[in-house]
Formats: sequence, structure tokens, C-alpha cells
Amino acid sequence: MVRNNRGHGLLSFFASLLLLAGGCRQRAAEYAPGRKINPRISVRYAKGFTIDYYEGYRDVSIFDRKAGRTDTLHYLLVEKGVDPPVNRPGLPVIVTPVERMAVISSMHIAMAEFAGVADRITGLGSIQYVNSPIVRAGIRAGKVKQVGIDAGINNEAVIAMHPGVLIVMSNPGTGGGTYKTLTDAGIPVLPDADWLETTPLGRAEWVKLVAALVDRDETVETKFDSLARSYRRLADIGSHASPKPSVITDMPFKGTWYVPAGESFMAQFLRDAGADYHWSDTKGTGSLALGFEAVAPVALTADVWINLGNVDSKADVAAKDNRFSSLHAFQTGALYNYNRRVNDLGSNDYWESGSMHPDLILADLIRILHPGLLPGDSLYYYKQLK
Amino acid sequence: MNAGSPLLYAKGLQTGYHPSGKKIVVTSGLPDLVIGSGRLICLLGANGSGKSTLLRTLAGLQSALGGTVEVGRAAAVGGAMGRGGAMELADCRHLSPAEMARSISLVLTDRVGGANLNVYSLVALGRYPWSGWLGRLDQTDRAVIERAIVAAGIQDLRHRKIHTLSDGESQKVMLARALAQDTPVLMLDEPTAHLDLPSRIRLMRLLHHLTREMNKGILLSTHELDLALQVADEVWLLQTAGPLHKGAPEDMVLEGVFEAAFAGEDVVFDRTTGVFRISPEGERRIRLAGEGTIAFWTRRALQREGYAVGADMRADQLVRIAEEKGATRWILETPDGSRSFGSIADLLRALAGVRKD
Amino acid sequence: MNGQLRKLPLTGLLLLLVLAFLLDISAGAVRIPLHDIFRILLAPSPGDDSSWSFIIEKIRLPKAITAVLAGCGLSVGGLQMQTLFRNPLADPGVLGITAGASLGVAAVLLSGGSMATIYAIKELSSPGSWLIAGAACIGAGGVMLLVLVLSGRLRDNVLMLIIGLMIGSITLALISIWQYFSNPEEVKDFLLWTFGSLGGVTGRQLLILGVTVLTGLVAAFLSSKMLDALLLGENYARSMGLTVRRARTIIVCTTSLLAGSITAFCGPIGFIGIAVPHLARLFFNTSSHRVLVPACCLIGTILLLLCDCISQWPGTQSVLPINIITSLVGAPLVILLLVRKRDLNVNAYR
Repeated sequence: MVRNNRGHGLLSFFASLLLLAGGCRQRAAEYAPGRKINPRISVRYAKGFTIDYYEGYRDVSIFDRKAGRTDTLHYLLVEKGVDPPVNRPGLPVIVTPVERMAVISSMHIAMAEFAGVADRITGLGSIQYVNSPIVRAGIRAGKVKQVGIDAGINNEAVIAMHPGVLIVMSNPGTGGGTYKTLTDAGIPVLPDADWLETTPLGRAEWVKLVAALVDRDETVETKFDSLARSYRRLADIGSHASPKPSVITDMPFKGTWYVPAGESFMAQFLRDAGADYHWSDTKGTGSLALGFEAVAPVALTADVWINLGNVDSKADVAAKDNRFSSLHAFQTGALYNYNRRVNDLGSNDYWESGSMHPDLILADLIRILHPGLLPGDSLYYYKQLK
Repeated sequence: MNAGSPLLYAKGLQTGYHPSGKKIVVTSGLPDLVIGSGRLICLLGANGSGKSTLLRTLAGLQSALGGTVEVGRAAAVGGAMGRGGAMELADCRHLSPAEMARSISLVLTDRVGGANLNVYSLVALGRYPWSGWLGRLDQTDRAVIERAIVAAGIQDLRHRKIHTLSDGESQKVMLARALAQDTPVLMLDEPTAHLDLPSRIRLMRLLHHLTREMNKGILLSTHELDLALQVADEVWLLQTAGPLHKGAPEDMVLEGVFEAAFAGEDVVFDRTTGVFRISPEGERRIRLAGEGTIAFWTRRALQREGYAVGADMRADQLVRIAEEKGATRWILETPDGSRSFGSIADLLRALAGVRKD
Repeated sequence: MNGQLRKLPLTGLLLLLVLAFLLDISAGAVRIPLHDIFRILLAPSPGDDSSWSFIIEKIRLPKAITAVLAGCGLSVGGLQMQTLFRNPLADPGVLGITAGASLGVAAVLLSGGSMATIYAIKELSSPGSWLIAGAACIGAGGVMLLVLVLSGRLRDNVLMLIIGLMIGSITLALISIWQYFSNPEEVKDFLLWTFGSLGGVTGRQLLILGVTVLTGLVAAFLSSKMLDALLLGENYARSMGLTVRRARTIIVCTTSLLAGSITAFCGPIGFIGIAVPHLARLFFNTSSHRVLVPACCLIGTILLLLCDCISQWPGTQSVLPINIITSLVGAPLVILLLVRKRDLNVNAYR
């Protein structure tokens, strides 16, 4: 027999590894590390993350898109009692199911509510603005504490409550520096980049990350499917409606008017609701900073004005700038703001549960733009300003 | 206004400051001070004697701690010059700054920035108490400004920017400004401080002329005793810890006031010559025979060398001044003989040589 | 005096003013031909394109008028401060007036964490433009009074300057604390305010701004004589008949009125107040305030109108904040002029 020295060496190398592995590990359950299994969740609308399922753990990939290049950040969600896989060293590990979590934004609260685990929140970025009754009760009982946001985060408070994970709103790549103290202390930090998504459903789909954290994958998948079906049905109705009224959004401050760019999820809402949005074809997922004059020709003749911001009545709008009274939408009273559900704390539920119910928002928009198209005419998040 | 009629009258004045409630007295127990028209008064005193404070108090720049200052009220229009009769005096405290400005003008030691002013504009500022609402100048104003420029001798500097002027020129410009203000009283604080000798003399001569020709009452503070003695009609000598002496300068010399005021081991006022002697009184004696200017300067030279000089002293050396063939000769007669020299320098060198022996 | 000589720069500058005004009215995101602009302004008829009418009458014209008022007010304010303190680096905000206005606006726009009183203001109503302007006025006025009271007994103007600077520092520190505890949207709103904006002053607000600025300008012009006397310093000024303390109060109040009202409606606009008095002295070669006050108005207006034009050009869709343009355009301009006119001796201030 011809002796292949290299092949022989490799074989013995792997053999010894196996022996070592087998010898060193004393586990309760016998798992072959790293064997891929069927996914329990499929991510269809969101483009910012995927989840791969392995025996004993999930591999969450979060994509950081920078000028053509895409970096992938991996987070391992390892089941309790299971050792992290040896072939994935150095990656942050989150033990599932998470019993206690600290979150930063209102949307995270809504996600937790959607997954049915709002009671697992122990820390909030700001306890000032909360709508969820469960979380509010938790705050009153002292079980939920404030941890601050971004650079103002109170590291000691977070470490003291020792959550299973801290979910933050940030660019995937930049979280490193700000949260180093926490990761050094053994608290995993998971970046949530839902605001970079270009569709409302894509944005809401990040709830599946929370589902994976608390081991409610199937429940949330089913619930989300029903949400997605509802949204798509409405979008079908809305996008085929005719005629399409012209829409202007937001309010300028002094000389600058920020309007959603063509690839933002607000623009998608408007397309799905059957609106004629002037900047629907522009690039960008954020806002366009335009001069008042650039927007004026559109704003003057727009049929409907939505998302006006921190105003409650027509008088408020005129008080901000008396030129607004020249807008056609102002004169016909077609002013619709998203602050119908503001609680006694001043917290607007549009930003909280609204983020997880894009179908309700879409329904509101369709009722505003095409009255009579949908049964019933009561609005949920929006109200007409009088 | 008659010459000598009082333009400013200070009674029982006490000068000082009161920072944060406390009273700091600089000068008290002053006699009645009068500035009369046509009189040039020099305020003398060592540094720190309170000259500036006194001047500023009289000028109304700071309030007196006690006593009153009364000032003659000038007419509302046209200025105070050439009016007949005595002026009515009013207490400073009852006058507004605008009224005071028509009676007293100042030349101070303050540095003036001016920000791009030219000389004419600066002099024109002197018309402030007389010009209209926005500072517009009419014909009378322009005439007074012209007169002031001519009087101060700065016609050539009219269009220059003030930051390009030398110290002497700057001083004259500030004086012209004060003259343009056209007040009966003019006060100057150390006007000769940065001037060279010819400029100093010219300034004093100009001030003297102003009192005689324009009947102004001028008060100036200085510590140049020699100039003051020459030109002042009256001297006010302010001592740091003592009273204020006032009078005609010559009277004060003869009364020995200056000697007493500046008395010290190394400061001697020579009554005869009217100067402060730098050199100590000589111990060696020498006789000097001669008169006139040459003798005067020979004596000074000998005194600088440390000799006590006299005409009738008992000394074994004699210096005789003689005229030979139209030139001056100094003849030194000693017990050893006599020698003749053509200059004071040679004489002094010889004397030094004699001393060595 | 130099009447003939002065006519040359004067006519040139007047022409430049007209040109700058026309340029400012024509510049903008929407291209409107000049003859249409004139037609809309001078002979409006119902057949005109309504968005063009809106843009000309409600956006560009008020902005140009605001630029005129702000240009005049800030430069004259700067002139007064430079004369009063005999300091070539003084600007209208040097006594902390602009900082006081910022403090007022910060109180309204920033939540300041758990500051109960500020919360109450927010509860009343969403900050309308009147509330912001009013808060700025109160802030500026408050600082002005504080400075006047604290320096009431001081004879030296330089001490007043120092007090003003210190008060300015304190207010800016307070604003920083509030920013630290505010949420990002609030901070962004406040930041946008600090960038300054000539737009948004319309209708009654423009009227009030016009009245206050014109009052301030007239008062400053009538104070010309006082200011001339102050050029020589307080002692000489007093000896020439000026009641220095009263003059100082009048000048500070006038400048506060000008700087405070402009900052209240337009946000802080820098650079104009420092640079224009120097340019005026350069062009008109005089120190007489009777000439300098109108000169500053003229030059300040031209400069600000030109800066406003430039802020509208880049990319035509967005507008750059005016504060950035004034510094980027103005500073090199002043450097250029100073370097070319080498015989201008700034030592003249000593």
C-alpha cells in the first residue's frame, strides 16, 4: 500500500481531536456540535438579519452595510446548559431563553409585548415614555428601572440587574466602543437595526430576534404571518386605489423641511396606501433635508397633510408658522396627525405598538386617503386635527 | 473778564477715594485754592504726593470727600472768551457734566486710541459741549477749531492719523482739543512728561502766552521745578505728609519752602541758583575771582569737582579769570606758582593733578 | 469735509445694495424669472401661478427683508460695542446677550431632564414660534438687566465687559447641561435653532422685528455724538460733558434691543457684528459715528443679503444655515481686505 504521509497526518490529527473532545466533555445531553437543523423562523421581509439554526444554538447574523461592502456580525444564542460550539470561538454568546432583558427603545417594548414577554423587561432606556400596561405596572412596582440611552447609559444599573441581554438601537458596527464596559462585565449587547429597513413589514420582522431570544420562535412566526397577510391584503387594496391624493408629511423648522426619502418605510407606507408622494422615487432610507421653498410648490397643493409632529389642533399648526394656513390641506382641514393614542405620561403609542402593527397604520392611511374604501371609518393611531 | 478774577474756587477741600465704603483720605487741610483768569499755576509735588488726585478732584472727574469746589459758569453759547465782568461761581455738585464742560477743559495723561481718527477730527471733538444734537459743527465751531490748531502750532498735522504722531505732536494735539473746547479754565496733568527739552520749553511758553493773550486760568501739575519757577505766576507745592504751600515762586524760594519740602541728606536746593545741587558740598576750598557768565559757569564746574567756592574764603588756591588777546584764560594760582589754561576742562584736569600730589 | 471723496464708495455701495437685494429675491430652489418676480410684487393678479406668488411673497420677500433688518441691526450693535469698550474684537453679543437669548430658547426646546418648571412650559402648548421668540427676548433682556445692575457702580467699562463675558459662560454651561439630559430630537431641534435662519419671520413677527430694529437703529444714530466722545475714553468723555453712566446704559440698552430681537427671531447669527464696523471704517475712512452708523447699515445689509443668496445655491434643493455662510464668506473677505490695505493700523485701538 502506498503510504500518503499528508493524508495519514491529517487523519491522525482529527482522530486525536475527536478523542480529546470526547474525553474532555462531560455533558448531560449528547449533541454533535454544529449540526445544522431546519429553521424554525424564516426571515422574509427584513434584510438586516438572518437566523440559522443548529443543534443547541442559533446563529444570528446581523448585516452592517457600509458603502458597498457588507460586514456580518454573528451572535450565538446558545440554549441553557449547552456549551458554545468550539468551532465558533470569539463570538458573543447569549444564553437562551432570556429571563431578564434590558431594552432601549419603545419598539423593543412593543416587540416584547408581541412575543408575550413584556414582563421580562427589567431595564428601559427611558421610563418617561411607556404605553404598555405591563411595563408600566413593572415600573410602578420598582421592577423596571431606567438605564439611559447611548453614551449616557448607566453601566452600573445595567450590571446590577444582570439581564440576559441588552438590546440597543444602533448601527451594527458601532456598538463596540460604547458598550465595552458591559460586554466586559459579561452582559451581551445585541444591536437592533430595524430602522434601516425599507419596508414596514421588514421593520416589524425584527421581532423574530426577540422570539429567538425567548425561545418562542413558532408562536411569533405564526403571529407574524397573520400580521403579514393582513398587511399585504391592505396594501393590495390601497396600492390599486384610484385616484391617488397627493400627500405631504412632517413639518418644517424655520427654513428646513425634512421629508421621508423614497426608500424609507414611510414612503413605502404611502405607496401601499395609494398616495401620490412626490419624493417616492428618490434614493435614501432616511429623510431628505429640503429648503422650505423646494417643498412649497408640493405642499401648497397637497391634498392631505400627515405626520405633523408635536401639534394637537389647527391653531397649533398656525402658531408654528402662519404661512401654513395657506396650504390647501390646512384650508380643507385635511390634517391628520399620529397622536391619537397619547397616554397621561405624554407617551405616544404610535411609536410603541404602532411599530408592531403596521397593518393598523396602513389601514388608517387608507381610510384617510380613500374614505369608504375600507369598512368602518374609525382611525386607530391617527386623528384629524381640528 | 478782568485779569485775576476767580474762575475756580476750592474751599476746605479734602480729596481721596472711598472704595467699597471705606474712606481713604489722600489730602486734607488744604487752604482755599483759587484759579484766577490770566494766571498760570503750577502744582508741584513729589510722586505720590496726591497731585493727580487733587487735579482730578478740582476738574470734577472725581468727587471730593469734603469741602466744595466752585466754578465760574460760562455762557451757553459762544464760549467764555472776552466777556467783561466777573463770573458767577456755582458749586460743582450742582452743575451737570455738560455745564462743567463749558468751564473746564483737560489735558490728561490718558492714552487715546482713537480708532482711525485724524487730527482735525480729534480737535473738533473739543467742540462737544457746544455742538448740536448729532455733533454737527457750524461756522463758529470751525473758527474756534482753526484758532486752536494755530495756537497749538499743529497746522501741518491736520490730516495725519493720530496713531502716527510722536509724543510731542500728540501732546500738542490734545492741547489743541482742549483749546477748541474754549473754556475759561484749562487743567493739564503732567503735560511735559514725555517731551524732550525743547518741546517742554515750547509748551510752557505756549501756556504762558495763553494766559496773557486769552486770559485763561491754567493749572498744570508737574514735577519740573526749574520750568515752574520760570513760568508760573503761582506755585502750589503739595507735600506728601504736609500742608500745601502756595504763593509766588520767588517768595517761596526765599522763604526756604523748597528746601524744607525737599530736604534730605543728598538733596540740596541752592537758593542762589534756583537748582537742586547734585554734588555734595565740597570740603576743599578754592577762591574764584571774576564776574558774569564765565564766572558763573566756572563756579559750577568747580562745585561739581567738589570744591566750595567763594570770593573771600581762606584758601590757598585761587582761580582768576582774565581776558588775554580776546580769549578767555583761567589762571590757577597756588603756593607753588601760577598756570594759565584755555578751557575749564584743562583747569579741572590740572586741579585734579594737583590734588594727587 | 471729504464730501466729494465719500460719494464714490457711497454710490458704489448703493448700487451693490440694489443688486444684492435683487439677487436674493431671485435665488431659490424654484427658478422664477426676474420679470415675473417684478410682476408678482408690483402688479399681482389672480391669474398668477399661486405657488410662485406664495414663494415670492411669503418666502423670499420676508427673508430678504429679514436679511436687511438683521444686517443693519447686528452691524450697528457691533459698532456700538466696539466703541464703548474700545475693543476691535467686540461683537453685539459680547455682553452675553446672545447667550441669554439662547438660554431662553433652550428652556423651551430642551426638556432639561426633570426640571419641573420647564416641563410646565411644555405642557402649556407645543413651542410655537411666538413662544420661542418670546423666550429668547426674556433671556436676552434678563442678561442685559443683570449686567447693568452688576456693573452699575463700576466706573471702568472694561469691568462691565468682563462681567458680560462671565455671564455668557454661565448661560452656555447651563444650556450644555440641559442638552446632556435631553432626548436626541430635542437636541436636534435646538441645534437647528443655533444654526440661525433668516426664513420663517413673517407677518406680525416681521412687523415686530422691523419696529424693534428700526427703533434701535434710530436710537443708535441719535447717540452718534455720545459714541464719538467715548472714542477718547471715559475721562475725556466726562470732561467734555458726557454723563458717562447714562450714556453707557443707553448704549447697552440699544444694543440689547437690536441683538436680542434679531437673535429671538433669527437665532444667533455671528460674524456680521464684528466684521462690518471694520469694513465701514475702511471704506469711509472716518471715525464719526454720524457717518459710520448708516455706513454699517449699508454694508451689513449687503453682506447678509449676499450670504443669504449663497446659502440657497448649493444643490438648490437644500438650504445651508446662514451662520455657516457668514463665517465662510465673511472671514476670508475681511482677511483679503486687511492684507491689501496694509496701511490700516489696528494699533490705533491701543
